[in-house]
Amino acid sequence: MFCSLFKKDCQIMLAGKFFLVAFGSLILYTLFINFGYVNFMNAELYNVYLYDPQGTQKEVSELIYPVDSLEELNTALSTDANGVGVDASSDTLDIVFYFGSEKADNHRADYALSLLHQENEYTARIVGTNTLESKQRKEMCCELLFIEIVAVGFLGIASILFKEKQMGVIRVHAVLPFKKGLFIMAKLTVFLLSDLIFAVLMTAFNIGFPDAVAILPAVLVQTAILSLIMTLTGFGCTMMLKDFRQFSLAYVLIVIFVSAPVFLSANTSVKMAWIDLYPFYHVYMGLKNACFGIPVTDPVYYICSVGGIVILFLIVRTAFHREMGKEG
Amino acid sequence: MRGLFYQIKSVWKDKLCIVSFFLPIVVACALHFIGGIDLSSVAEFQFGVLKHDLSTQTASWLERYGSVSVYETQEELITAINDPSTYMIGVMADGDTIQTMVSGDELDLFRRTADTLPALYKGRESTGQISITVLERPDMMEGLQNIFIAITLVVAMFMGCTFNAMNIISEKENGVELLNQTLPMTQSEYVMQKIFVGFIGGCLSAVLTACCYFRLPVWNALLMFALIILSAFIAALIGLFIGKLSESLMVGVVYIKIIMIIFMAVPLVSYLLAAGGLISVLCYLVPSSASFEGIMNLAVNNNSMIAKDMLILAAHCVIWFLLYLSISKWQKKHMWR
Repeated sequence: MFCSLFKKDCQIMLAGKFFLVAFGSLILYTLFINFGYVNFMNAELYNVYLYDPQGTQKEVSELIYPVDSLEELNTALSTDANGVGVDASSDTLDIVFYFGSEKADNHRADYALSLLHQENEYTARIVGTNTLESKQRKEMCCELLFIEIVAVGFLGIASILFKEKQMGVIRVHAVLPFKKGLFIMAKLTVFLLSDLIFAVLMTAFNIGFPDAVAILPAVLVQTAILSLIMTLTGFGCTMMLKDFRQFSLAYVLIVIFVSAPVFLSANTSVKMAWIDLYPFYHVYMGLKNACFGIPVTDPVYYICSVGGIVILFLIVRTAFHREMGKEG
Repeated sequence: MRGLFYQIKSVWKDKLCIVSFFLPIVVACALHFIGGIDLSSVAEFQFGVLKHDLSTQTASWLERYGSVSVYETQEELITAINDPSTYMIGVMADGDTIQTMVSGDELDLFRRTADTLPALYKGRESTGQISITVLERPDMMEGLQNIFIAITLVVAMFMGCTFNAMNIISEKENGVELLNQTLPMTQSEYVMQKIFVGFIGGCLSAVLTACCYFRLPVWNALLMFALIILSAFIAALIGLFIGKLSESLMVGVVYIKIIMIIFMAVPLVSYLLAAGGLISVLCYLVPSSASFEGIMNLAVNNNSMIAKDMLILAAHCVIWFLLYLSISKWQKKHMWR
């Protein structure tokens, strides 16, 4: 019974071009990571421009850009607003820059001064295992995986379920002789499997196969948690909302609600006090840490996730029963 | 005229259209207020130190540059440095000097800072004759915020496609479309009405959004208005295409989402990549690239470049319009066979 339901769901997904969309976004993400993100995301330390007509500064570092006039110094600074200008034309050294923030400005001034003396090169001790590129790959991979499951996959799930609902398939199941939970289970399995396969391909293509093997088990666990939550939410929405039009409103709200605070607080230093109470933040951080090879070990997290999934499942099952009981 | 009134009335009843109409305006208002939040703290340094390791003078010296977090053990410190979401630099005392630790995956900015920190520490006493001049940042419309604003405006401009696409699709689903064919209305009248619905919606939404952001001088405001009109017209044409191609509401929504994502992503990526040469020319195939560039140029008062963007937009208008006409002509020919 389960097998035939499973097979039918797979066929529906094939017909609904679900796999095609997933595959398309996989290619798009991979191209973006490999040719876009890794190449352009880098921030250099400030450039320092020196105007020194008398040549009073004898032993400046090679990192300093000499300029020939004050005008040139000003134009250099106005095009490179993070740059620092040093004007050594009078007795007092004058350090000029555009306002950034108070602490950063202290550093910029002191850094510019330090470049006026040659120092023996010091290199900071490296305590991590990632390089900049591998970190960026992991970071982006995890973000896109999250986006795919929360936004793209979620939309796919709902569109397929709405189609079945409109065609009356759900009500037909009410008269079929099998346990009603099976219907939900079959759906969950299909979407879970497709998300897991997506996660495997995504990590293998973008993080690199040898690295991916080591982190894959942890990533798959987190993907499964997220995927189950989103599938159940999508299922619940389908059962409770009247048609796809209403859903597309709910969709915008849910996606913004789920992803906006997570990305704000995980990627910028905008920290919100309540973010620790926000479940999706923990799921996202679980996924991110798994990508970096630091799986979550806190049992509370797993207990809460399983609890959440069970509660969602119960809600969905109730809604499903109600939907089946409705009269045409 | 009467027909148009009914068109707009039916769009107004569609909640999806209302929400997509107000979405950019709400975002614009939100950004307008968030504009006051200091985004510069994003680039502030974070230092991690061990308890009882650095002298108080050294710690307060570090605090001049950024925030300092204290850790009990070396393991905790290293875990914090390796935390992927931060760019923490570890600082430890080493006799008279200091040593720094990084995780190795930092952006150049942070790695170089860590490399040069001991030299800064050594030179902290040697104050010569120094004066510091801090210049005001020239304008508020800068960096990140500029991009946000331009992208929201682009979304508002091209949101028009939602209105007429949804309108056409719901007519298809209700069977009104078949009815339309029996009405004494020419194909061109129908197309004009549908274009007008999307055009008016997109224009209004974009103008309101722009009003939330900009206080432009008259000449620039006119340029902006011209940009909005051209973009909204293209959006209306795209809406017609979506309406024609999608058989059901679901397919239509998916098409709109895909198009909106492409329209947002292409100009953004090409701007961030500072793409040049052939790629930048290819980007103009997506009309939103030209709109985005036009807005960015308006924001920095680079009026001469806007003419180019407008020409590209106008070319898009003509090409898409002709394409639509020829497709519907072709379909009409083949419909009765």
